[in-house]
Amino acid sequence: MDKNLIRAMAEEYTEFLRDESRMVGKAESISFPQCEKEMVHIVKKMVDRQIPITLQGGRTGLAAGAVPLKGHVMNTSRMDKIVGMRKDDQGSYYLRLQPGITLSQLRKKIEMKAFDHHDWKVDDKKAYIEFCEEPEYFFSPDPTEASATLGGMVACNASGARSYHYGSIRSYVTSLRLVLANGDTVEIKRGTIIAKGREAELMTEQGNLLKLKLPQYQSPSIKNASGYYVADDMDVIDLFIGSDGTLAIISEIEVKLLKMPPVVWGISCFFTQEALAVNFVKEIRKKTDKVASIEYFDGDALEILRVQKKKGLTFANLPDISPEMKAAVYVEIHVETTQEAIELLKLLKKKIKKADGDTKHTWVARVDVDRDRLLFFRHAIPESVNMLIDERKKDCPTITKLGTDMAVPDEFLDWVINVYREKLKAKGIRSAVWGHIGDNHLHVNLLPRNEKEYELGKEIYAEWASEISKVGGVVSAEHGVGKLKYQFLETMYGSAAVEQMRSLKQIFDPLEILGRGNLFSFTEGQEEKK
Amino acid sequence: MAGLKIDYSTCDACGNCINTCPVKALYKRGNKVALEENNCILCGGCIDSCPYEAISINKKRTKTINREKTSGIWVYAEHKKGVMHPVVYELLGKGRELADKSKHKLTAVLIDGESSHLAKELIAYGADRVILCSHVLLESQQDEYHFDAMTTILEEEIPSIFLFGATSFGRSLAPRMAARLQTGLTADCTRLEVDDVSGNLYQTRPAFGGNLMATILCPDQRPQMATVRSGIMHAKEPDYYREGMIKRVNYKGKIKPNIEIINEIIGEKKESIGDASVIISAGRGIGSQKNMKLVRKLADVLGGQVGVSRPLVDIGWSEYPHQIGQTGAVVRPQLMITCGISGAIQHLAGIADAKTIIAINTDPEAPIFSVANYKIIDDCIEVLKMLIDSMEKKQS
Amino acid sequence: MKIVVCIKQVPSTNKVQLHPETNTIIRDGRKSVTNPFDTYAIEEAIRIKEKTGGKTIAISMGIPETEKLLKDAMGRGIDQAILLSDKAFAGSDTLATSYTLSLGIRELMPVDLILCGKMAVDGDTAQIGPELAEQLGIPHVTDVIEILEMKQSYLICKREIDNGYQLLKVKLPALLTVLKDINMPRMPSIEGVLQSETIEVIRKDARDLEAKTSKLGLSGSPTQVVKTFVPERDSKAIEISGNIEEKAAKVKNIIGEVLGNGRSQD
Repeated sequence: MDKNLIRAMAEEYTEFLRDESRMVGKAESISFPQCEKEMVHIVKKMVDRQIPITLQGGRTGLAAGAVPLKGHVMNTSRMDKIVGMRKDDQGSYYLRLQPGITLSQLRKKIEMKAFDHHDWKVDDKKAYIEFCEEPEYFFSPDPTEASATLGGMVACNASGARSYHYGSIRSYVTSLRLVLANGDTVEIKRGTIIAKGREAELMTEQGNLLKLKLPQYQSPSIKNASGYYVADDMDVIDLFIGSDGTLAIISEIEVKLLKMPPVVWGISCFFTQEALAVNFVKEIRKKTDKVASIEYFDGDALEILRVQKKKGLTFANLPDISPEMKAAVYVEIHVETTQEAIELLKLLKKKIKKADGDTKHTWVARVDVDRDRLLFFRHAIPESVNMLIDERKKDCPTITKLGTDMAVPDEFLDWVINVYREKLKAKGIRSAVWGHIGDNHLHVNLLPRNEKEYELGKEIYAEWASEISKVGGVVSAEHGVGKLKYQFLETMYGSAAVEQMRSLKQIFDPLEILGRGNLFSFTEGQEEKK
Repeated sequence: MAGLKIDYSTCDACGNCINTCPVKALYKRGNKVALEENNCILCGGCIDSCPYEAISINKKRTKTINREKTSGIWVYAEHKKGVMHPVVYELLGKGRELADKSKHKLTAVLIDGESSHLAKELIAYGADRVILCSHVLLESQQDEYHFDAMTTILEEEIPSIFLFGATSFGRSLAPRMAARLQTGLTADCTRLEVDDVSGNLYQTRPAFGGNLMATILCPDQRPQMATVRSGIMHAKEPDYYREGMIKRVNYKGKIKPNIEIINEIIGEKKESIGDASVIISAGRGIGSQKNMKLVRKLADVLGGQVGVSRPLVDIGWSEYPHQIGQTGAVVRPQLMITCGISGAIQHLAGIADAKTIIAINTDPEAPIFSVANYKIIDDCIEVLKMLIDSMEKKQS
Repeated sequence: MKIVVCIKQVPSTNKVQLHPETNTIIRDGRKSVTNPFDTYAIEEAIRIKEKTGGKTIAISMGIPETEKLLKDAMGRGIDQAILLSDKAFAGSDTLATSYTLSLGIRELMPVDLILCGKMAVDGDTAQIGPELAEQLGIPHVTDVIEILEMKQSYLICKREIDNGYQLLKVKLPALLTVLKDINMPRMPSIEGVLQSETIEVIRKDARDLEAKTSKLGLSGSPTQVVKTFVPERDSKAIEISGNIEEKAAKVKNIIGEVLGNGRSQD
């Protein structure tokens, strides 16, 4: 084993103490394992001394799941290989990945069909050669930040815009290899380990049997990334997807690829009022199922982007948005023929007119270049907001952006927007709202100017969590709970359910070494009690 | 009729050519590869993709011009206000080599505002002969007059090979010339070789953004024209005792120009980091903000720009316009020296198109090394200091 | 003002991929796009028309599928599109292509302005513009980054040259090739896309153009590609070792090689 595997937390590694949530943590050591064997080695070393391990991938998370509180940081970014592929009887293709590969790397390789196949087994190579002859494939989960790693995406059950049509990453994970907190390993293939009611058994490759008692609550049927997924007679693989790095370390992932639809067009529509845009969304949802994503950006978000764009550089390449536009909806259509797409365009035109929008002021991206520009536009908005907060942080270092990640059932879309707007107006806090409106999943980003507003923002956030939980909503729909939202887990499921989750974790990880602080609160001194 | 031919005696119907075809002109019919002639653009991609050499292109050619009449290898001597463009000496270096191999004479064409002292210089760098065309109208780099003068010269004789620098002037003049002479031109050649029997010039150039190299011939027309970028070929040591002849061509300057140069602004071009051809970049590993000075110094010495990884902007050691990576600038320099950058995924996304990367870092496993061409496992500050020292010595 | 824009269909990606079994080049031909530089020419034509009035026409030489790109140009605001398509055009190099385009444009005369992208990203030659201008017998300016003034009989433009800029007054008709900094191309609107679907692209073949067969396609192309290959690249970084002085000296040499001032070392 490489002597340099576990390193002291030197100055040069400080960036590994934080993630996109901008929370900064502490750690004493860090490692960059390159294979499962090294992961096992590190886990065993740490567990002997009861040192907590925080897992990291691309550190793009917004819930501080990758921020260490103390102990060891295990960063998987150097495990970024595609280790094999297979084709099943139905002709579908599956890729086996190390957890550190980023979404953008994966996409590029799938698009180019360029995999480093030299070490692959004969059967995998055969599947690859067949894959090369096939038309285009794609991997559907598409969180906005494409430098997320696959391991991180599985850990928080990542979604993205296209999950409106295709669902979250859960539906595309067909196998996981895991390293448990005691150093044992296990491979779970979808469909092979099924719970009986709420009980299940899992045998590790080292021959240890784990008897699992699953929590009793009902997992919501809407888009969700809050707490463990449980259901009667569930597939045990689903327990680990969205577990925020608290149950096991993911060392290998198998994902399913989809055939790329022949025609993919993206259309951005602009409106002068939020209500018009929302009506448009509801109409589209009612009228067609050919839509892969419906995204929303409010007037504040557009304005922040306009300002950053004027400052030049990165965002200068974006098309101008007319100043009277106060809301934007992005619709992506996935269809078989151009004719079908034209028909849909006609439908959109009708609905825009009905919602009092302006059909001349729309952007239709039919070619890759234009689609990339629209994707960049979508990405630019959260980036601009981060820049704004970074500027404010210079005056007031304690503040951070407060971004919500809650979703509600379809019939509560108007209600939830109303709840947000009323509160924001009453408290006078600046915000920017965007997100996956198709799934009634909006990110409300509170932009505090000072410490007082920051505290106020936290209060508002908690109030929203409680109101939304009451109508069957979820406190985290895609970012995961991490270290920032554990108290909302209780708001959503109740304290008994959270206790059951914690008991489940302890079956896998009795010393609470993995992902300490994620999902469950953890205060110093707690470990001595155990 | 020109056309694509598939030799079915060697074709294995593997389908490589079908995948390669950009216009869907090839398809599988039964267990055979078939050609839809109406779609084929004869790009030749399939020919290279075929492992069995079963595909070929049939070509019926236009009649050849008389090769005996051509007068060797010519180089266009671009200059400005009496200063020769360095690419000219490089072309003469290459031209000399080609001329020696094919036993031809090397000629430099000098179009100038006055009978110039530059002719001697051209001979020193390898020309056997200089064609000198002087006229007061030719003083400025006014394309039209130069083009007209060139036409006058070419009315008397035509070279076998004609080389231009791929400068903005050359890239404007050479294609216009090629169209006038109805001959072939190959842009941005990186390798030139001559077949001494046929006199054919094998011109190799990058295509598809450098991802593919293509070797191009112009077998039936003369001159064979090519442009070469500065810095690709090597100049010979000048020899001021070399002798050569000078041929003067009269220019009448009778054309009425369509284009008028109102103003010329030189040296004002502002390079943003995205366009920089040299970037020295710094990351957390430089240790202290004061070391940014060293990074800037090296960038200045090499005429480049300073780039940084995101953590340096976050902690205020540098400004956002310098940030490279997914959320900063995407760069594509010829040369990049990274100092103390470990190479977070987001950073690597911004430097994927850099040509040559020299990475300096203390951690032998830093991911930056996986994309670098050269790696130095050491303290970047020590290396920087030493490097700046020796660069400055060289300059003085 | 009548403005013609020349556009080219190019592969959507420049990356070369090797077939896993045969190690031969796969250029995935399934996707093609408008040459990125041409999109700036399209935008500039539309902007000029919005200011001065008149008509914009896009022209391309290519396979029938190129029609899709011409429709896309119309979706952005180009008024009319012409596709020159014929088996006889196959295998054209820049000379044969510029000849064919010149025939298509001659039919549209009088034309005030012809715009081309700086170059096509698949060939990178940047030759079509000047060659086409010569075949049409009109002046040309390459690498234009701004059109400052547009008059009936002339225009004033800013051209980028190696170490600066030139301000040029150009008599019309003329041909300009444009750089990407000249503008920010707009996105097509729903209105534009639906509108473009109702306009037919005009198709012309060699006979329509009354072309000389000997100047077309492969037979009219003086250059021919005899070989293509993927340049070899070292995938692994070469380690530079030694003491500090030695390392610095080696780096200095590499810098010299890379930046091409190899002259002093020869």
